[in-house]
Amino acid sequence: MTSLKRSLGPDPYASNVSSKVYVRSTRSGKVQKIVRELYLRQDIPCSSQLCRSCLATAPRDASGILVPFVLSAQPAGTKTYPQGHYIVPDTNALLNALDAFEQTSAFYDVIILQTVLEELRNRSLPLYNRLVGLTKSEEKRFYVFFNDFRLETYVVRENGESINDRNDRAVRKAVEWYARHLTQAVKAAGGKVKKVPAVVMISDDKENLIKAKKDGIDACSLQEYVNGLENADQLLDMVSAAKEWRETQHAKVAENLYQEYFSVSKMMTGVKNGTLHQGIFNVSPYNYLEGSIHVPAFDKSLLILGRESINRAVQGDVVVVEVLPKDQWKEPSTKIIEEETMNKDENADAEEGEAVITEKERRALQEEVKKVHSKSTEGRPQPTARVVGVVKRNWRQYVGHIDESSVSQTAKQSRKQQTVFLIPMDKRIPKIRVRTRQAGEIMGKRVLVTIDSWDRDSRYPAGHFVRSLGEMETKGAETEALLLEYDVQYRPFPKAVLDCLPKEGHEWIVPPSMDDPGWRGRRDLRGLQICSIDPVGCQDIDDALHARPLPNGNYEVGVHIADVSHFVKPNNAMDTEASIRGTTVYLVDKRIDMLPMLLGTDLCSLKPYVERYAFSALWEITPNADIVKSEFTKSVIKSREAFSYEQAQIRVDDPSQKDELTNAMRTLMMLSKKFKQKRMDAGALSLSSPEVRVEMESETSDPIDVKTKKHLDTMSLVEEFMLLANTSVAAKIYEAFPQTAMLRRHGAPPKTNFEELANQLKVKRGIDLRVSSSKELADSLDRCIDPKEPFFNTLVRIMATRCMMSAEYFCSGTQAYPEFRHYGLASEIYTHFTSPIRRYADLVAHRQLAAAIDYEPLDASVRSKGKLEAVCKNINVRHRNAQQAGRASIEYYVGQALKGRVVEEEGYAMKVFSNGFVVFVPRFGIESLIRLRDLAEPEPESAFDAENYILTTSGSRDVKVELFDKVVVRISDVKEESTGKRKVKFELVKVVGSK
Amino acid sequence: MPLDTASYSLALLRLDGRRWNELRRLTAQISTQAAADGSSYLEMGNTKVICTVSGPTEPKGTGGSRSGGDNAEVRVEISIAGFSGVDRKKRSRNDKRVSEMAMTIANTFTNTLFINLYPHSTITLSLHVLSQDGSLLAALLNASTLALVDAGIPMRDYICSCTAGSTSSYSSNDEAADPLLDLNSTEEQELPFLTVATLGATDDVSALVMETRVQIGRLEGMLAVGVDGCKQVREILDGVVRARGKKILKDSGS
Ligand SMILES: [Zn+2]
Repeated sequence: MTSLKRSLGPDPYASNVSSKVYVRSTRSGKVQKIVRELYLRQDIPCSSQLCRSCLATAPRDASGILVPFVLSAQPAGTKTYPQGHYIVPDTNALLNALDAFEQTSAFYDVIILQTVLEELRNRSLPLYNRLVGLTKSEEKRFYVFFNDFRLETYVVRENGESINDRNDRAVRKAVEWYARHLTQAVKAAGGKVKKVPAVVMISDDKENLIKAKKDGIDACSLQEYVNGLENADQLLDMVSAAKEWRETQHAKVAENLYQEYFSVSKMMTGVKNGTLHQGIFNVSPYNYLEGSIHVPAFDKSLLILGRESINRAVQGDVVVVEVLPKDQWKEPSTKIIEEETMNKDENADAEEGEAVITEKERRALQEEVKKVHSKSTEGRPQPTARVVGVVKRNWRQYVGHIDESSVSQTAKQSRKQQTVFLIPMDKRIPKIRVRTRQAGEIMGKRVLVTIDSWDRDSRYPAGHFVRSLGEMETKGAETEALLLEYDVQYRPFPKAVLDCLPKEGHEWIVPPSMDDPGWRGRRDLRGLQICSIDPVGCQDIDDALHARPLPNGNYEVGVHIADVSHFVKPNNAMDTEASIRGTTVYLVDKRIDMLPMLLGTDLCSLKPYVERYAFSALWEITPNADIVKSEFTKSVIKSREAFSYEQAQIRVDDPSQKDELTNAMRTLMMLSKKFKQKRMDAGALSLSSPEVRVEMESETSDPIDVKTKKHLDTMSLVEEFMLLANTSVAAKIYEAFPQTAMLRRHGAPPKTNFEELANQLKVKRGIDLRVSSSKELADSLDRCIDPKEPFFNTLVRIMATRCMMSAEYFCSGTQAYPEFRHYGLASEIYTHFTSPIRRYADLVAHRQLAAAIDYEPLDASVRSKGKLEAVCKNINVRHRNAQQAGRASIEYYVGQALKGRVVEEEGYAMKVFSNGFVVFVPRFGIESLIRLRDLAEPEPESAFDAENYILTTSGSRDVKVELFDKVVVRISDVKEESTGKRKVKFELVKVVGSK
Repeated sequence: MPLDTASYSLALLRLDGRRWNELRRLTAQISTQAAADGSSYLEMGNTKVICTVSGPTEPKGTGGSRSGGDNAEVRVEISIAGFSGVDRKKRSRNDKRVSEMAMTIANTFTNTLFINLYPHSTITLSLHVLSQDGSLLAALLNASTLALVDAGIPMRDYICSCTAGSTSSYSSNDEAADPLLDLNSTEEQELPFLTVATLGATDDVSALVMETRVQIGRLEGMLAVGVDGCKQVREILDGVVRARGKKILKDSGS
């Protein structure tokens, strides 16, 4: 082995060691000074295939393998640089337009400087990760040049020089060195100087560009550079429009439409001393001008009404608000206000005379205010607030479509750049102003855009176009749109992940010899009569069960779960990917796996007739369903049969079946009913959410029908034992790791959540809804019966479900024990253990359980509270997104199934506004809004009795709708203009009434 | 903040610009304190330590229980300056990690020094840590060697030490992970590593300490790199000793 040391004499580093000093402030507010050594060297290659001299000194890794050179010997040319060129972007260029760099049509042979990479990492971690991904893809030829370690390109920060200036200078110096170095390399190889590729710095910083010109460096702005490319139009859109906006608008001394944000320090002091409040900004799904924010200081959410108060906050942003004086407190609106109907024909290009609030909006809001003032004091005004600053933007990429009316007719064909509005699919996001040259092309397509900025002088945020997903309403485009909207990671697993799979692939088997290390600590349960029960066609079988009588009259029951933690080791690429994905996402016609197929549907899946590794929970249970003892062990099992719920049900119900497996299922069924009764007695809730199933044509996978899911006893059977396993495991891992157990809790909903529903039930049905405990709630829900309307109870349960908190994963050290409680299940402690193939939380629980039974030591990552909290935070979000994506997918396919059909169905009014009402149709599990203007043309006059939830219309149509009323609606499918979604449309046929 | 250790794979360069098999700058002086029996000052990168040796000394006073018996006893005291680390934490002398290091150093030298030449006496090593930037135990061992040479206590050969790590963390199944030589503190915090000490330029390992977890397959590579690093360290230490020797000869000759 060689060492620089020996070859360079006694103190080779004397001139080549430098120090870097960082100042870092810690979370506790301390300031730390960090000194790092820097070893400067001359053997960092340029990585151009034109260069021989670098090849001689190029580094080898420990196995002696040389890293291949990246940059092409014949890079592509442009109009300005016909000889070919290498690109060196600065940090801002990447921040503004990484999307463009990711295109396959341009931006090859790119040199990323260390200086730039570090700066980008400080500015945006997601962009940094994407860039690192790019440097690893071979075809794009991105090379990271460590300029700060190379002697010739290292730059010392001068006295009085800002860090930014120093970094800019470092970039210029590296570009200069590259140009010189390449010329030498080509000369040395006997080539012509004319053929040397240009090294082009791309920067959006004017000063940097001027200095570069002065130093004789090839440099240009992103805009200029892209203009010189062939497919300029498409790329120009991606080059962030934000900067340009600012420039043109500053020139005009634009009028500011919004209040200026407070300074960060002012916000922080305000929050600290309680005059200001921080929280997450949420927009009402029915009214885009009404936001709310929950802050610890108030029980009720603070309302944020109107564009001025919302002050450029976007759904999900972390904002700081100021509470308005009490005389401005209001009631949440009872009116549907949708952006599309309010500001229909705005011109996206119009910049002059733009007011924050359009005349129509003003009128709509004024009506609201009047209503509040005229009301008796009995009203329940809610505190209102206005946004004074944004702590953290939660902007992401948004899917939507171009508002056709904002595209000028002449521009449809021409490639003139123009400004258009993009209407996001998510109604809570304001429309986004996008400058594009491709308006004509992307019209009618699903497109992806990002928001770049929202300045005080612009009514709408400015963004840029990223890419088109395809024609609207095609299955491909709509599915991808849905996945993007819910941030589902749907790309194929990268190679690094697949490399973590067992080498044997599908050939993998449980080692035949019990001396194999795989058998260490495993119990041989292959002799047990185990079977699995799942939905039809289930391929990722997480769980299997067995039961057998014991000589003492008790039963032995086992729940066997796929041993995923055997295959997925902590912190490898596959584990990281799974922890990011967090959960498998089920769409109607597609499943996006958390783990590669090989594991999910084969090696881990507890398929019948083959031996599989499992993690087993075993109990001894008395005939009265009392648990005598429980234990956990890693095991090897062989499932005898994989039943569907229906098949299992038929076997259990068929008295002629007397085999061991069926008898075991009967035992399980008997025990599960007792378990369920016990849970119900303890106050477990039976809630309801509309569940429907879309039936597909198997050949074309076109939806043909929608059915509500039927409930079978075998479903409760499996559910009860999964609950049992989860609760037992939760107790076990909490006992072993009181600070870091991965658990799941369901908070008791605050009483205020039920105020509305309780009031509605009281007014309309005279029913008292008691909510002080889950037991009371369960009992009073049981009493919500309308003898003439069997569905009424389910309807109330659906509405009650929406008042609940959502359950969440948490790390046991972050909550006090009483807070562990799972409200819905009425269980003291709970976790997820039974579906490790499709949920990451379960995988963590497996690792912790394995450590708790001394099967293997616990990895550091599941032992650290901080890391676990981060994991919980992520999977909570992923879990929610997955549910929403699944629901959206069903909604889309229900629309498709109804396509071209018109049906009349019964429904129920579940929400009444002053200008419309929401109808829920159980047959399809869908709800939709019927607005006044949908009732008749012209829009009928209306009177709204808010106290009694009655909407009466007169004039063009006489209708009286009360809350909970049964109605008949005509369902057809239409393309919703505002979001471009195909959606079901309800028309009111008649009100059947209720009493 | 700058990049982290994961960036190694981008260009086979470590956070401070070194390659996988390179030591940091290692410089040392001996006889830095005239009053001590032996002394040294050593820097490995930004890790800076001082060592003074007193002894071998006979126990004070007659009578009472005599320590050690037939061999000399090696005592090690380590004090870590509050300003030496990043977070200005005062470590007590009884800190578990510190006393473990002291124990390792004492055991290593008990086996290397000819302690049988000094029965009933004590050799005391006082080590002061001025600045910490990784490989602390290795630096302490190397500084001790120099100070003991300075004190003229006979030993079989130099004890030379350095650390070795691996570029990827414990559980990633990264078979291709490179071993790393001589870790600085950032690397120590993020990566698995061991401290190895050898007897001179031989492959005899006289101390081996590892507190992090690493996959067994990577251990061999790490150890090989570490032992090779120890040989490089020996040359540097030997250079320092010889230079000192020459100077003494020159001074006494004139
Ligand atoms: Zn070169």
